[in-house]
Amino acid sequence: MRDYLELLDRAYTGEYISEENWDLEKVAATARRLVKKYRLEWDRNQVIPTDEGLIDAVFQAGLEMAIELGVYCRSTERIIHLSLQEIEEGLRTMPQSLVMGEGKDARTLYARRIGDERPPLFFGGSPGSPIPEEYFLENVLSYAQEPLIDLLTCGTLTEIGGRAVRTGQPLEIVATRRELQYLRTALSRVGRPGMGMLAAQSSVSELGDLAVAHPDLLRRCDSHLVPLLNELKLDFRNMARAVNSWEYGMINASLPCVIVGGLGGGPPGSAVINVASFIVSNLVCLADYHILHPIHIRHVATSTREVLWVISAVGQAFARNAPAIIVADIYPKSGAGTIELLYETAANAIVNSVSACHIEGCGSADGKLPHCSGLEARWMAEVALASWRRKITLEEANTWVLRLLDKYEKVFTQEGGNPGKPFDQVYDLKSLRPTVEWQALYDQVKTELKAEGLID
Amino acid sequence: MANFLERICQAVVEGDDVSVVEYVQEALQAGESPLRILNEGLMPGADIVGKRFEEGEYFLPDLMLAGRALKAAMEILKPLLAAAAAADATLKKAKIVIATVQTDIHDIGKNIVASMLAAAGYDVIDLGVDVPLNSIIDKAEETKAEIIALSALLTTSMPYMKDLIDLLQARGLRQKYRVMVGGASVTPEWAESIGADGTGRDAVEAVRLARRLLGEA
Repeated sequence: MRDYLELLDRAYTGEYISEENWDLEKVAATARRLVKKYRLEWDRNQVIPTDEGLIDAVFQAGLEMAIELGVYCRSTERIIHLSLQEIEEGLRTMPQSLVMGEGKDARTLYARRIGDERPPLFFGGSPGSPIPEEYFLENVLSYAQEPLIDLLTCGTLTEIGGRAVRTGQPLEIVATRRELQYLRTALSRVGRPGMGMLAAQSSVSELGDLAVAHPDLLRRCDSHLVPLLNELKLDFRNMARAVNSWEYGMINASLPCVIVGGLGGGPPGSAVINVASFIVSNLVCLADYHILHPIHIRHVATSTREVLWVISAVGQAFARNAPAIIVADIYPKSGAGTIELLYETAANAIVNSVSACHIEGCGSADGKLPHCSGLEARWMAEVALASWRRKITLEEANTWVLRLLDKYEKVFTQEGGNPGKPFDQVYDLKSLRPTVEWQALYDQVKTELKAEGLID
Repeated sequence: MANFLERICQAVVEGDDVSVVEYVQEALQAGESPLRILNEGLMPGADIVGKRFEEGEYFLPDLMLAGRALKAAMEILKPLLAAAAAADATLKKAKIVIATVQTDIHDIGKNIVASMLAAAGYDVIDLGVDVPLNSIIDKAEETKAEIIALSALLTTSMPYMKDLIDLLQARGLRQKYRVMVGGASVTPEWAESIGADGTGRDAVEAVRLARRLLGEA
């Protein structure tokens, strides 16, 4: 704790810089320079890079960026510099295994390697999606009941009793507590009370997060998010989350949401920023594990070629150079009830799995609408496990993903996107089974990809 | 003379805020009119930047650097253009106050829209992130803005957009401003439901919307 308090001190004493200059003169300029120095290039048809020299260069560039820049504290407009010794210590002490949950339902996350003999684990839920309270519990149940799902997450409660939840207002506390009550109820109801969770998703400010640090709500064996802001920034609100977890003992998941096409420019620069973000978050977010969540500047979705490349490059970079527990999430463009959601999910599941990550999903319809269900999470796990069981190589995986891209890439230029339908129109809320139509689409895609040889 | 304008255009495209100032000063010394520098040097450069961003050739830093170059050039041209504008009302460019609403600290989307609006020639007053509603309205009043542009990424910060519109009503100011709203989860239906004047899917649409709201398109 003393070390973290010292980092807080640095937020008051570090070099002053305006936020615009941090963005342009530090982050963007450094990313551009490092991409050039390390000759980092990407290929639209090689969404899973296989060049080990390139992967290692991405890691080295990210490490160099973390050492050179540190992290920006928006609350004080100062730079928190991190010493080489601190950064190396942070990398050396990254957990290699981590138990989440308790009793028979506990799972051990581990730092995956490329071609790992152990399967990835799956977080089921639609993080970030606004879910109406009237079917929040049923939505969560649709994931918790899936046998392949190891850990539970969820969307966000944006209304409580018909009242809009506003960030930072008292209702945020109520919403986050209620979210945890629903999650715990769901786990009990499916007979998996000890399942680990990544929760407090309704806590956008620190308020809700602080309000659920209680054994009856978010247990010490569960995790919550400690976000980094775009790019390589944080503020006291998010540092408060880290401090609170330190005292209470729950598990921290760092969450940098690097924007591909943002300050890092294209995929190579964005991957460098993502590597640097994980490295600094070991220290400033007190990260126990990392959420890999780059998003596309225009399409949001993690299933675009650019974002798939970043996920794979970052996942592989850590697996080869500094193994860490990384959970890569899936945010498809399409929503529940569409065939494209299943293709996008399959592509993302393959990339995330072969790139040494665990997997979370799906934030269907970009996580913008309640258009998500447990069925696509089941599919995510099935496809990832099939590619793991078959020990497909990076090159084979790339071929599969290109074929899948052909089937869904049109959604990125589709007017109005491809939002599909809300949860209550693709699931029967009483039986908690997919509707006939949604089930039929799933069966159709499964049969198709089985015939093509992707899954068993 | 065309050579000056081409160099100014190119400096904007390259986001070079040092050279652009140099070229603008050289052009003025050579007798070029401020209005021509704006319309045939800076604006074509801004258009190229906007198009390249839309096509995925340019990224956010390119947009921000071009915005910086435009701002530097406009510092020189503003007083000269103001004199001309005093004589001709059609030369005045609308002021737009833009902010990410209170409790939301996401700035990338707002920055992109602000840069594109600036590149389109509007006088953009960017208040930053997590801005209290009354501060936004006060700044709009102070600067005599015509548009208030609001951004929110977080679903639970979006209600503050409605609160701002309600506050404008309560203060008797709603008719004075066009209110644009945007953010990942903002839909046209939602924008309409809170009484906003419109929303755009991305920064390019935001510029189109601003033009439409101001009767320019």
